[in-house]
Amino acid sequence: MRERNWLAAAALAAITILPVGDAGAFDESKYPNWKGQWVRTDAGAPRYDPSKPSGRGQQAPLKPEFQAFLEASLAEQKTGGQGGDPTYTCLSPGMPRIMNNYEGAELVVTPDTTHIFMEHIHDSRRIYTDGRPWPAFIEPTFAGYSIGQWIDEGGTGRYSVLEIETRGLKGPRSYDNTGLPLHPDNQSVFKERIYQDKADPNILVVEITTIDNALTRPWTAIKTYRRAQNPRPVWRESVCAENNAHVEIAGQGYMLSADGFLMPAKKDQAPPDLRYFAPTQN
Amino acid sequence: MQNRSAIRAAMGVLAIMAVLCTAPSGAFAFDPASYPNLKGQWFGVRGTAGGGQPSFDPVKRWGTTQDAPLTPEYDAMFKANLADQRAGGQGTNATSTCLAPGMPMVMNAHSPMEIILLPETTYIRVDHIRDTRRRIYTDGRDWPAEIEPTFDGYSIGKWIDSDGDGRFDLLEVETRGFKGPRSYDASGLPLHRDNKSVFKERIYLDKANPNLLHDDITVIDNGLTRPWTVSKTYRRNPDPRPAWVEYICAEGQQLVRIGNENYMLSGDGFLMPTRKGQAPPDLKYFSRK
Repeated sequence: MRERNWLAAAALAAITILPVGDAGAFDESKYPNWKGQWVRTDAGAPRYDPSKPSGRGQQAPLKPEFQAFLEASLAEQKTGGQGGDPTYTCLSPGMPRIMNNYEGAELVVTPDTTHIFMEHIHDSRRIYTDGRPWPAFIEPTFAGYSIGQWIDEGGTGRYSVLEIETRGLKGPRSYDNTGLPLHPDNQSVFKERIYQDKADPNILVVEITTIDNALTRPWTAIKTYRRAQNPRPVWRESVCAENNAHVEIAGQGYMLSADGFLMPAKKDQAPPDLRYFAPTQN
Repeated sequence: MQNRSAIRAAMGVLAIMAVLCTAPSGAFAFDPASYPNLKGQWFGVRGTAGGGQPSFDPVKRWGTTQDAPLTPEYDAMFKANLADQRAGGQGTNATSTCLAPGMPMVMNAHSPMEIILLPETTYIRVDHIRDTRRRIYTDGRDWPAEIEPTFDGYSIGKWIDSDGDGRFDLLEVETRGFKGPRSYDASGLPLHRDNKSVFKERIYLDKANPNLLHDDITVIDNGLTRPWTVSKTYRRNPDPRPAWVEYICAEGQQLVRIGNENYMLSGDGFLMPTRKGQAPPDLKYFSRK
């Protein structure tokens, strides 16, 4: 009888000490260890589907109208223009381009929110995992509004997969720097599954499915990031406006020379219209 | 004998539980009860003096009324900047072209602020111009031999249990390793161009009102005659699921910097002067006129 009392007391004490729920403690052992700095594993220009070349090579299931847009973008870029790539003036890449992971990612897991910090132009995300429903109104953003759910896929008592749905986008956005376009109606929906490789916990897998009105069908790509070995990595600070040599005037892209003057971005490009300057000043 | 075994087993369970729950590294469990609750959305509280955009010392109006202890050289630079702004220029306000505000302007909280507290790092997110996320390392690290300069700087923090109640209540932070140009606020109040600034902060909840957060910031900078301390206060939004704005500086940005001159983009996208009598940009690199 005494034994039972002791064991009962011990069990009660353990329950009392053990954190319960996020009100008491954040039990990190229930979540996957995603700490550290994650860099993309693919080489070449960051792109949506890293298993294929960029541009036409992505074989995006675009509707004819948007395939034509891509072709025009590529043609424009050949002449020195920026085509359909909206980020050259430091606009946010938004989703899904954020997840191309240009300059390293940090995933900060808390019970209520997983923060994805991407060092690039303006790429950080919040994934709400607090069980909230979709709000009645979403203020459109480039990153979108993301709701996630943790899944214990192996039934091990530990979450292994973060499933995310993202809506409420604004634009213009493209999948990558070729100008591969998303529909300007900004009705895109993204469904993601993020998890660690079972064989190598230093590989993070990001499966993204894009549902977008510029596509003939949902388009899925699988990305992988590798964890940097340095447990105290150096985080660069990418400030797009710093040394950005691109200027857009009246819808035309120009360059700034090293000595600060405007210069053409394309062969034989006309100079900008200076109609708002008094003629005597020119 | 069986009794003793049972007691030993029970004590063992307790000991393991105690170790699990007090793991300092956060490898097992992070107990928020040991830290202040900094969750939520924080808005900068402005002083009653009002006027202008958020200023470094929030209880004083921005501009010369900040009474910044500037060296004569930097005081002259600041006044020249104000004169330029009165004429339509941007002076020494580097954020006008979407450069990162950096420290200490980040802490003016132009946009709402979020603090994410984990044992190794406290993150401060402010979405203003850049998607700033200051990383304040609280993992006991030393200053690195070399710091890659950034606008936000490199921050090392230490949690303090100032009243000995077994719970941390104060985050002391030191920040170094800057690049520039930076100003204290959009008035162009300048920090020294040598970027040797050091910031010491004390971040803590108000004892009487846990929905008020204080950040006492001391600036040590070669543009100052002495360290300059201000106390900032932030108020917590009662909405537990607040909306977070996305501030994309380049979106709708009308200022264009060409050479050493600022110009505006008109509503129809053309270049226009920012100042009366301003000359247009030199187009010497264009063959077609």
